[in-house]
Amino acid sequence: MTTGVIQKKTPKPNCFTRDWRLYLMLVLPIAFYLIFCYKPMIGIIVGFEKYNKFKGMWGSEWVGLENFRFTMGMSDFSTALINTLWLNFLGLVAGFPVPIILAIMLNEMRSIRVKKVSQTLLYLPHFLSWIIIGGMVLQIFAPTSGIINALLLRWGWIDKSIPFLTDGPHWQFTYTLVGVWQGMGWGTILYLSAITGINMELFEAAKIDGANKMQQIWHVTLPGIRSTIVVLLILSVGQMMNISFDRPQVLGNAQVRKFCDVLSTFVYRTGIENHKYERATAVGLFQSLVGLIMITGANIVAKKLGEDGIW
Amino acid sequence: MKKTLAILLTLALLLGLTGSVAVAEDDWITLRVECYDREITGLDVTDCWQLHYAQEHFGDPNKIKLEFVSYARWTEGTLLDQALNGSNAPDLCMTYDGGLVQQCIDQEGIWQLDDLLNTYGSNLKAFLGEELLSYGQSDHDGDGVKEQWYLPARRISRANVGNFIREDWLKALNMEKPTDIESFTNYLRAAKDAKLAGDNTMPFSFGIYAPDPLYNVRRFTDAFVDFTQVTKEDWFAYARNPEMLPGAKEGFRWLNTLYHEGLLPDTFALADNDKANDTALIMGYNGFFSQQPDQPWRTDKNYQIELEKNVEGGHWVTVNPFKNESLGGKTLHDMYAPAGLSIIIPLTANEQTAIAAMKYLDWMAIPENMFAMQNGIEGINYEGLNDDGIPYGVKSADDVPNENKMHAGDICFISNGLCYFDDAKNNAALALPFKGYEEDVKASYADSLTDAWTQISFTTTIEAETDYGSTVKSKQGEFLAAVVSCDPAEFDKVYDDGIQDILNSGAQQMIDEFRKAYNDGNYRGVFPGDL
Repeated sequence: MTTGVIQKKTPKPNCFTRDWRLYLMLVLPIAFYLIFCYKPMIGIIVGFEKYNKFKGMWGSEWVGLENFRFTMGMSDFSTALINTLWLNFLGLVAGFPVPIILAIMLNEMRSIRVKKVSQTLLYLPHFLSWIIIGGMVLQIFAPTSGIINALLLRWGWIDKSIPFLTDGPHWQFTYTLVGVWQGMGWGTILYLSAITGINMELFEAAKIDGANKMQQIWHVTLPGIRSTIVVLLILSVGQMMNISFDRPQVLGNAQVRKFCDVLSTFVYRTGIENHKYERATAVGLFQSLVGLIMITGANIVAKKLGEDGIW
Repeated sequence: MKKTLAILLTLALLLGLTGSVAVAEDDWITLRVECYDREITGLDVTDCWQLHYAQEHFGDPNKIKLEFVSYARWTEGTLLDQALNGSNAPDLCMTYDGGLVQQCIDQEGIWQLDDLLNTYGSNLKAFLGEELLSYGQSDHDGDGVKEQWYLPARRISRANVGNFIREDWLKALNMEKPTDIESFTNYLRAAKDAKLAGDNTMPFSFGIYAPDPLYNVRRFTDAFVDFTQVTKEDWFAYARNPEMLPGAKEGFRWLNTLYHEGLLPDTFALADNDKANDTALIMGYNGFFSQQPDQPWRTDKNYQIELEKNVEGGHWVTVNPFKNESLGGKTLHDMYAPAGLSIIIPLTANEQTAIAAMKYLDWMAIPENMFAMQNGIEGINYEGLNDDGIPYGVKSADDVPNENKMHAGDICFISNGLCYFDDAKNNAALALPFKGYEEDVKASYADSLTDAWTQISFTTTIEAETDYGSTVKSKQGEFLAAVVSCDPAEFDKVYDDGIQDILNSGAQQMIDEFRKAYNDGNYRGVFPGDL
């Protein structure tokens, strides 16, 4: 109890007055998101218009769902949609476990120098543009003249070129393989940092209990990075409807068009090349909506299974 | 102090985001002119010799500051479209993308040029001429009078097809130059059997031109078309679908046969094929290729000179074997329309700027200005002038100092090709730059213009083509890859399914609309049956 003087209650300082410098620093990132992420979203109304590039999105005629009806009614749309999902699914199944396995293998390396060198070598493909990779793929997988076919033909192991790039299913295999190769090193980064976060005492305890290397990986490392795995898996599922433009465009060709035509190339052809931005926007909006549904679904499932999810 | 500094810096950053306010200068006008960038090493098109010349002789006297805005040649349509969308397009634009121009007219975003042309464009009007100008006219407001919406550039040479064969291979095989498809096929087979370029021998250089896969293939398949079954109406209805003309199927079957005999590369459909094809041509692996009539001698990609470096006596000469029996042995060649690229002035240019743009075009149309803009300086860009006043000894870009490098057509764009204001001189000039190969070039142009039919265009908007054109082309690529490489036993099925697939992807709508446009008289071009 204080002395007789009644202490005047000092008003709780307003967080803005107290931390205004911090808030000032926040202005720029918020401005960034407003200007570059939220303002452009207004542009989705173009997808509901017969867009006139000179009148802009506020002056163009409103046509409702006409653009959605038109693009989704095109003979290529369903093929592109199925290919997008199928190629992404293949990429997920083949590509998702690889960085985890690689990260664990890297983590088990005893020589720091070998570990660093292999890590760097594994990252490298991530920095190559798809145009360059496309050239390499052609050198390696082309019929007759590609390295693999040329060698196998010369050795007499095969008498007809393997159509890595010219037959649909073969092409999808090549596409997936190249994608896994390109992305696996980069994918290890998050897992490696997650592994570093595991308490070393757990490993020591396991060792004392007589666990061998494999048992340690199974019972300590993997559970330790489980939440990271789940988060990344949910994010990947959310990306199932999105597919980059350059990879299918560069690796694809007319001979396997039915297998390599995806939403991004479809949008480019029917929206950008034809100068019909409203149709490109309509397909883009459709992709985003499905992506949102998928990521929400994956998150709910993850939470039901007792994981943290991403929100 | 720190606090003040932080506030100042933040404010400065925020201000930076809002952009600076332009300060108007005196009474000079800035005219922004589009130009193509072909990535010629050492040439900065936005600061090139032609810009300085035009600034000095046209800009300064008229108080107009010229600025060149460069767009990559191969994506120019998309880039211009983006600029138009952003109200940021140059004041004077040009494009080969007819669909984009039509959209600009329909969406009312460009200047109607009649008044400008009549007031400020007398030289230009004379240079282009009434017939050519009519390509850029259409009745947009429906009052029965056609308005001038764009200016078509004048094509100096309309030849488009160049077919070339190895003369040294013919000698080695002791064969005559093929005169029909049968003898041509025999030549290809003999070259393959004789392994004239060792294991790399690939007689027929063949690839898919992705933007328009059948554009370069119809020159072969048209020879198989049965014109007794094609009406003039059909010809125009199938304007973009040569694969559907009666008889064309046999042309594709012929290519399929060549493929299975190993006479054309099994990599023809792969995306990166262009580069591989170029290398093969230069290394002397091929016995035949088909491109533009001056292709072997072009300064940027000189197949002839490069070939000679690799193969002693290697020699490309023109060949004309694609006879159509149903037309009495005519060797059909498609030929450009007289109109080249389209020139437009967007409405984002104010009236004064639009006037300046028209004045600039008019200045370009004056013979001495065009001569300078297209040919450069004697002694630097070319050796001298012959008796006709045409430059000879034209230097290739590598032999010209950077500050004098130029690309004639891209800057002096009212003329597609070198123009000397006289048809005979223009024709003579086509071969002149190619020193030592003048006769070869002349022969090539002569073949190219034999039985030549003008490419088809329509004078109304074909909605279906805007909607489905690119999809149909993409399907045609798939079709071409399939019919050429499929098992010969399945050819008929693959062909028929492919045609159905193309029809379903929007070609049917296009054909119907083309047919209607033909019947309404809204077409240009030539029916080979009328030749």
